[in-house]
Amino acid sequence: MSTNVPAVDLHAAPTGERPKNYLNCTTSFMSWAGTLDHKRIGLMYLVGVSIAFLCGGVFALLVRIHLWEPHGMLFSNSGYNQLFTLHGAFMVFLFVIPAIPASLGNMVLPLMLGAKDVALPRLNLLSFYLWVGGAAFATYSIAAGGFDTGWTFYTPYSLYTNKAVVSIGLGIFLLGFSSIFTGLNFIVTTHKLRAPGMTWFRMPLFIWALYATAILQVLATPVLGITVLLVAFERLYHIGIFDPRLGGDPVLFEHFFWFYSHPAVYIMVLPAFGIISEMVSVHSRKPLFGYKLIAFSSLAIAVISFLVWGHHMFTSGQSTYAMFAFSFLTFFVAIPTAIKQFSWVATVWKGSIALNSPMLYTLAFLIIFAIGGLTGIILGALNVDIHLHDTYFVVAHFHYVMMGSIALAFFAGLHHWWPKMFGIMYNETLAKIAAVTIFIGFNATFVPQFIMGSQGMPRRYATYVPEYAPYHQASTIGAIILGSGVALMVFYLLASLFTGKKAMVNQWGGVTLDWHTPTPPPLENFETPPVVTHEVYDYSTLDVETTRTPLR
Amino acid sequence: MFAHLIQDPAAVKNYIENPASGKAVETDYFGQLTSLASTFDHVDNLFYFTYAVCIFFFVLITGVLAWTVVVHRRKTYDQPAASNTTHNTPLEVVWTVVPLIIVMVMFAWGFKGSLDMMTVPADARMYKASAKQWNWTFSYPNSVAQSYGELWLEVDKPAAFLLESTDVLHAFFMPSQRIKRDIVPGRYQTVWCQPTVLGEFHLFCAEYCGDDHSKMYAKVHVVSAEEYAKKPWDVWKDDTPANQIASAQKLYSALCSSCHTVNGTQLVGPSWTGLFVKDASGKIVGGQREVHVGGAAGPKQTITVDDAYIIESIKLPEAKKVVGFEAAAMTAFDLPENKVKGLIAYMMSLADSK
Repeated sequence: MSTNVPAVDLHAAPTGERPKNYLNCTTSFMSWAGTLDHKRIGLMYLVGVSIAFLCGGVFALLVRIHLWEPHGMLFSNSGYNQLFTLHGAFMVFLFVIPAIPASLGNMVLPLMLGAKDVALPRLNLLSFYLWVGGAAFATYSIAAGGFDTGWTFYTPYSLYTNKAVVSIGLGIFLLGFSSIFTGLNFIVTTHKLRAPGMTWFRMPLFIWALYATAILQVLATPVLGITVLLVAFERLYHIGIFDPRLGGDPVLFEHFFWFYSHPAVYIMVLPAFGIISEMVSVHSRKPLFGYKLIAFSSLAIAVISFLVWGHHMFTSGQSTYAMFAFSFLTFFVAIPTAIKQFSWVATVWKGSIALNSPMLYTLAFLIIFAIGGLTGIILGALNVDIHLHDTYFVVAHFHYVMMGSIALAFFAGLHHWWPKMFGIMYNETLAKIAAVTIFIGFNATFVPQFIMGSQGMPRRYATYVPEYAPYHQASTIGAIILGSGVALMVFYLLASLFTGKKAMVNQWGGVTLDWHTPTPPPLENFETPPVVTHEVYDYSTLDVETTRTPLR
Repeated sequence: MFAHLIQDPAAVKNYIENPASGKAVETDYFGQLTSLASTFDHVDNLFYFTYAVCIFFFVLITGVLAWTVVVHRRKTYDQPAASNTTHNTPLEVVWTVVPLIIVMVMFAWGFKGSLDMMTVPADARMYKASAKQWNWTFSYPNSVAQSYGELWLEVDKPAAFLLESTDVLHAFFMPSQRIKRDIVPGRYQTVWCQPTVLGEFHLFCAEYCGDDHSKMYAKVHVVSAEEYAKKPWDVWKDDTPANQIASAQKLYSALCSSCHTVNGTQLVGPSWTGLFVKDASGKIVGGQREVHVGGAAGPKQTITVDDAYIIESIKLPEAKKVVGFEAAAMTAFDLPENKVKGLIAYMMSLADSK
């Protein structure tokens, strides 16, 4: 089989003039747009998901500003509904799901495995263009009248509304395939392209996490694809699957939707767990505590997460037996997650703890994820969930996981691998200020939402009864602080590309294979194929002086 | 192109003049939950138990982190880790087994509570709550009158609700009673509670249902047995011409005012002014309207407003769509005949105001 032809001829005789690195080896537009190099594709993904994140963030700020007054400040009710839908859809489908695997994962996974590229580079490029296609459909849907269904597209409302549901549905269909292809690629790469000596238990935990994620992507995403297609068919041809007026069942849609979207939560969060596992080890200069337990807990979560989707539907009128099983399994999935959290803390414990910006984001993650995870336990209890379901308590809970944990892990990884990717270091002082600002702003935004949620404030409300106003206003102030922290981050990261100083050869003192290549890496990653002889995270092999040697 | 997304000042004015608020949220002793006004105290008990467990683990995690970050901060670039322990089997068993036991307690407690919430007592009064975009209609046991956007319950008496939706998903949510149930079109669902405190409480729609989801509100009056025996919902009756218009005005506020004004400003739907006008002799006659016949794409035609047009527009909103409001999707209302008559009388009374 000759399907996985790499970007350049691997067997070309080495000449005196090797290209310097993957960024500057070729410069034409087509050398980027048609590249098969995993690092360039990862970089293009990084640009794409960052734009999606910033759009989603602007939508979120507009939502928060609108809610300053009980009767709303800026938008008609219909306008508000479209806005929160856009915020959710952009953040979930265009940012959180692809963000870590497709950008940082793409960039780092072959490096960590000691491979030249992913196993299927053309599929990798196709995956990127499917993402672009999905993003184009999503943007087109805004121009074609917007969509106001919430990111969940619950039927029958999504069948009756006169908005552009079909086009955003097709966008999600494409994004789903993008996600499946990335997952497929990572599974094959992990199985086939590990460097000699890289046994399964010498793989960095980021790889384990991406591998578990990839299994979920490949198995769960097709269900979403089928579901959005059925909604599109239902809208276009009235086939009567979800529409009660035609004998369909709206609850069936909820089952289909959450059968994907609950595992999707772990598609989003497992890569974040992987990054955090790397961060706590490198920046504490200490091997991970309970390596195997963390690796297996990723797989355990991947399996159990398929069986808990019904906890999104405790108020939909499921049978008592279904409620029993879903609640039980929901509590059960908390255990592997708790094991990870405890293991991370134990890794940091008595390490050599560097308080640099990736570590600040990591510490923020550990605190925020503790809250996000623990409030999930509150929601797992059946009788309590009946009160809290569809209130701001749920909104705050999943933002602690989606934004506070996943986005912060993404930021940690971005700051960690930024010097690796570009050979350039950003302004660390500004980075620390931004990390603290984001942490404060985030908590100020969502703690008030926990309180008003437990007092009964329903979600997705364009207007609200006036007694919730103080909480909404506190939350809006928090959102503005959070937004300014993110703006500062965007500023110094972009500024570093123009004015930044050279990074160190091994900026943080990492010992995984990604730090065993030149920085930035050459086109095919390794000048000589690496052979792994040590356990992963063996810091006795670290040459500390490299952490103080600037790049030439 | 995006003009319809921007807030209309008329909608703000309408909101401020017709506030949806019952009474201020009173919080319980800990300030976290709305104060409980039902018998479902197991919800609050388990909530606070779980909350306490969460706070314990949160303090443990952040405390350990904070201590080690301060003490083991890297001070010189080549500082090695103070410890390289990667395993501690007893510790790992403890932090697997102890949380497992705790969450299993929470699971059993929560499941038992939810069984209580699902088992309707035999002596419960059965009400019917009909949800549609974007309002509530309530029917009472052994009573013909219905109330709109307002509900009366007797204190210390179990109340069960038969829930139905005629359009999309809604959810019946009373925070003070700790109950919530999705209302699925095509199915009947049941939910029950027993209010224990006199007063006025919120009833929200908690499942997103379209444009005015946030205005789908009802006020719940929990009254004493004597008060309840007087059937306070009879204020919605319309047995005399005088209270017919007053009742219709309440009905308008509950069902129609989020889309139609009575002062000429245009919201989602056309204003009701000009439906009926006074002619030269002072007699009330139907006004002129330009409509699409047979739906938004149908041919335009100018009609004279009459009872038949109003009745048709309430029951079959798509039959004649007013020009300029083609995109507005009104839901059909299946109102009793006397209510429709009352609304027409109310519309006619508006002819005076112009």
